Amino acid sequence: MSFLQDYVYYIGAFGLVLIGLFIILSRRNLIKVIIGLSILDTGINLFLISVGYISKGTAPIFSKPGLVAEDMVDPVPQALVLTSIVIGVAVLALALALAMRLHKLHGTLDLRKIGELKW
Amino acid sequence: MVSPVLLIVIPLGLAFCVPLIGMVSKRFARFVPVVACLFNLVVSVQLLPAVLSKPIVVDLGGFGAPFSINLFVGPVGILFSLLIALAGFVVSLYALAYIDKGPTTRYHTLYLLLLVGATGVVLTGDVFNLFVFFEILCISSYVLVAYRGDKDGVESAVKYLIQGALGSALLLTGIGLLYGLFGTLNMAHIAVQAGSADPIPLFVAMALIVVGLGVEAAIFPLNAWLPDAHSSAPSSISAILSGIAIEVGLYAVVRMVFTVFGASSMLSFLMFLGVLTLLVGELCAFAQSNIKRMLAYSSIGQIGLIIFAIAIATSGSITGGFFQLVSHTLSKALLFLAAGYMIYRSGSMDISSLEGMGKRMPLTAFAFAVGAFSLVGLPPFAGFPSKLLIIRGALADGGALLALLVGLVLLGTVIEGAYFFRVIQTVFFKKGDGETARCEAPAIALVSMFVLVALIIVIGVYPSLIIGVLNSAASELLVRADYIGRVLG
Amino acid sequence: MRSIAIIILLAIVAVGIGVALMAIPFGVAKTQVGDHYTESGIGDTGASNIVTSVVVGYRAFDTLGEITILFVAAMGLGAVLAGGRKLGQRRDVEPASLILRTGCRFLFPLLLLFGAYIFIHGHLTPGGGFQGGAVIASAFLLVYLSCPGRRVSKVWSQTTESLGALTFVVLGLVGLTVGGHYYLSSFMPHGVVNELFSAGIIPVIYVAIGLKVGSDLTGIIDGMMEETI
Repeated sequence: MSFLQDYVYYIGAFGLVLIGLFIILSRRNLIKVIIGLSILDTGINLFLISVGYISKGTAPIFSKPGLVAEDMVDPVPQALVLTSIVIGVAVLALALALAMRLHKLHGTLDLRKIGELKW
Repeated sequence: MVSPVLLIVIPLGLAFCVPLIGMVSKRFARFVPVVACLFNLVVSVQLLPAVLSKPIVVDLGGFGAPFSINLFVGPVGILFSLLIALAGFVVSLYALAYIDKGPTTRYHTLYLLLLVGATGVVLTGDVFNLFVFFEILCISSYVLVAYRGDKDGVESAVKYLIQGALGSALLLTGIGLLYGLFGTLNMAHIAVQAGSADPIPLFVAMALIVVGLGVEAAIFPLNAWLPDAHSSAPSSISAILSGIAIEVGLYAVVRMVFTVFGASSMLSFLMFLGVLTLLVGELCAFAQSNIKRMLAYSSIGQIGLIIFAIAIATSGSITGGFFQLVSHTLSKALLFLAAGYMIYRSGSMDISSLEGMGKRMPLTAFAFAVGAFSLVGLPPFAGFPSKLLIIRGALADGGALLALLVGLVLLGTVIEGAYFFRVIQTVFFKKGDGETARCEAPAIALVSMFVLVALIIVIGVYPSLIIGVLNSAASELLVRADYIGRVLG
Repeated sequence: MRSIAIIILLAIVAVGIGVALMAIPFGVAKTQVGDHYTESGIGDTGASNIVTSVVVGYRAFDTLGEITILFVAAMGLGAVLAGGRKLGQRRDVEPASLILRTGCRFLFPLLLLFGAYIFIHGHLTPGGGFQGGAVIASAFLLVYLSCPGRRVSKVWSQTTESLGALTFVVLGLVGLTVGGHYYLSSFMPHGVVNELFSAGIIPVIYVAIGLKVGSDLTGIIDGMMEETI
C-alpha cells in the first residue's frame, strides 16, 4: 500500500506517457496522432513536477511573512515545465497547421492513404 | 576580447529584426542572414586562438557555476560554431538568388533562427538549455522542409515533426530523470556525480537521451524521416539540414556519451551502430534514381562513418572523425547546392534527366564533381585525408574485430564511389537529347559554390591547417576531468 | 500483430523507467541547486516569487530560447499556411448571437487588464509573462468568436512581437556591457522586496515577454482562423 502512496504520481504521469506513446505508434489518423503527442507532453510535465515535490511543501513564493525556505518545493522543475509547456504549444500549433495543409492537398488525414512516400 | 555569448545573441537579435526590416523592404531582409553569418564567422575566427590555449567558460547571469546556465566554448564548440557560420554564410549567399517565391521574409527569419539553434546547442554547457536550443533547431527545420507547400514537402514535414517530437519527448524524459537523480542540470556538475551513481537508472536516462537525440542525428533505426525531409525541402535547406542539422544532433549524442556520462561501455555498441548505419545508408543510396534522395541516403552513410570513427575513442580516430565531419559538411552542402540548380534547370529530380548537364552548365557540374570526389575520398580533396586518418586510427588499435569493421567501411566507400561515378558519368558523358543551350546558375550561386570548392581543395592539399584544432577537439572529448575542472573551478 | 509489437516495446520502456524511478523517491528533497535558489533567490534577484527568479533570473537564457521557440512557431505557422491561401475567397460566416457579442465587448477590456496585471506582478505573485500573454491572447480569441470578420492588424502584432523579443536581447546586452559584465545580469537596483517596483530587470523582461507572447498567440489564432473562414 505504501508503495502506491509513494509512487502514485509517478505511475499517473508515466501512465499518460505510455498512453500517448501507444496512440502515436498505433493510430493512423493524423489528428489522433497529434492528440497522442499532447497527452505524452502532459505526462512528461506531470512527471517533472512530481520530481520536484517535497512532502507537505508550499509554493516557492515568499508572499507573506513567516514562510521559510526549508518548507518550499523545488522551484527548478516548475521553471522547466513552464518552458516545456511553451515548447509543447509551439509544436502543437505547427502540427495542426501542417495537418490543415495536408488535408487541403490530399483531402484526407489518414496516414495510410497519404503515404505516397514510404513511412 | 569579445564574449562568446555574442555568437548566439547577435544573430538572434538580427533574426528578430528581419520581420521589421521585411515590412520596409523585402529585398533588404534577404541580406540579414548573410550579415549575421559573416559576423559569427569573424567572431569565431577571432576567438579561435584564445580558445585553443584555454577553453572559455561564460557565466550567463553571473550566479556561479552550477546555479546559472553557462556556455562552454572549447575546441569542439568553436570548431562547430565556425562550421555553422561558414556553411550558413555560403548557403545564405546561395539563397539570395535561389529563394525567390513564397513568403521569403519568413524563410530568412527561420533560416537564421535554425542557425542560432545549432550554435546554441554546440556552445551550451547545460542539459536543459541544450534541449531548448535543440527544439529551436528542430522546429524551424520542420517549417523549412514544408516551405514550398507542395504535397511531398508538407507530407515529409509532418513525418519529420512526429518523429522529431517523439524524440524530443524521450529526451525531456531523460533530462527529468537526470534531474531527479542528481538535482542539477549543469553538464559538468552531472559528470562529477555520474561516476558514483547507481549504474542502472543512469543507463536508463542515458538510453532515453541518446535515443531522443539519435532521431535528429539519424542513427540507423531512427532515420526514417531523413530521406523524405532532405529530398523534398528546397535545396538550400537540404544543404543546411545535411551539412549542419544532423551533425549538430551527432555532436549532442557525442557530448552526452563522452562528457556527461563518460560511458565507455556504450562505445563499442555505438561503433557497430555506426557501421550498420553506414552500410544501410550507402546501399539505399545505391538503389535510388532520385538525385536528392541519393544524396540524403549518402548523408546517412557518412554520419555512420563519423559515429564509427568517434566511437573508437582513440585520439587519432576522433581527429579523423571530426575531419570527416568537416569535409562532409563542405562537400554535402556543395553537392546539394549544385544539384539544386541542375534540378531547377532540368525540371526533374531524376538522375537520368541530368544528361548533358556537363555541357549546359559546366561550372555547376564541375562543382558537383568536386563535391562527389571529395565525399568518395579521392585526393587532392578534403575527403581523402579524413578517410585516411579514420582508417589509420582504427587500425592503430590492432584488434581483429576493428580490422573487420574497417573492411566493411571500405566496402561502403566502394559502393559510394560506384553510385557517385554513375551520376558523374550521366552528367558529363551522356548526350542529352533536347536542349543544349548554355544555362549557367546565377553568379551569386556560383560564387557560393566556388567558395566551397576552394575550401575543399585547400583543406585537401594542406590538411595540417585544421589538424591542430581537430586534435585539441579530440582531447577535449577524451579528457573529461579537464572539462569538469574548467566549469566548476 | 502490429499492436502486439507496440505493446512489447512499451512494456520495455515501462520496465526501464520503473527501474530508474526506484532511485528517485517521491516527496523527498533531492536537489542541490533548488535549495540554493529558495534560500538566496531573494538576495540574488530581488523577486519574492522564486519560480520567477529561476525563470527570468538564474535560467533567463532558457527563457530567451523559449520565446524564440514561440516566435518560430508563429512565424512557421504563417509560412506553412501562406502557401495554400487563395485571395478574395471568403465564405460567409453566420454572425455571432447578441449575447456573445455583448458579453465579449464587456469582457475584452477586463481580460486585457487582467492579463497586464498578471505579467506586471510576475515577480510577486503566481504568474508572469507567459501566463499574462495567454490571457491577453484569449481576449483576442473572444473578439474573433464574436465578430468573425474582424482582424488584428498584422503590422501591429508583428511589430510588438519583434520589439518584445528585441527588448529581452538588448537588456541582456546592456547587462553585458555596463552592469555586472555578465549577459543578462541583473544590473538595475533590486529595491524593496514585495513592492511593485523591485527585482531589477525582471519586471521589465516580463512586460516585454507578456506583450510578445500575447501577440504571438494572437498571431497563431489569427492564422488558424483565416484558414477556416
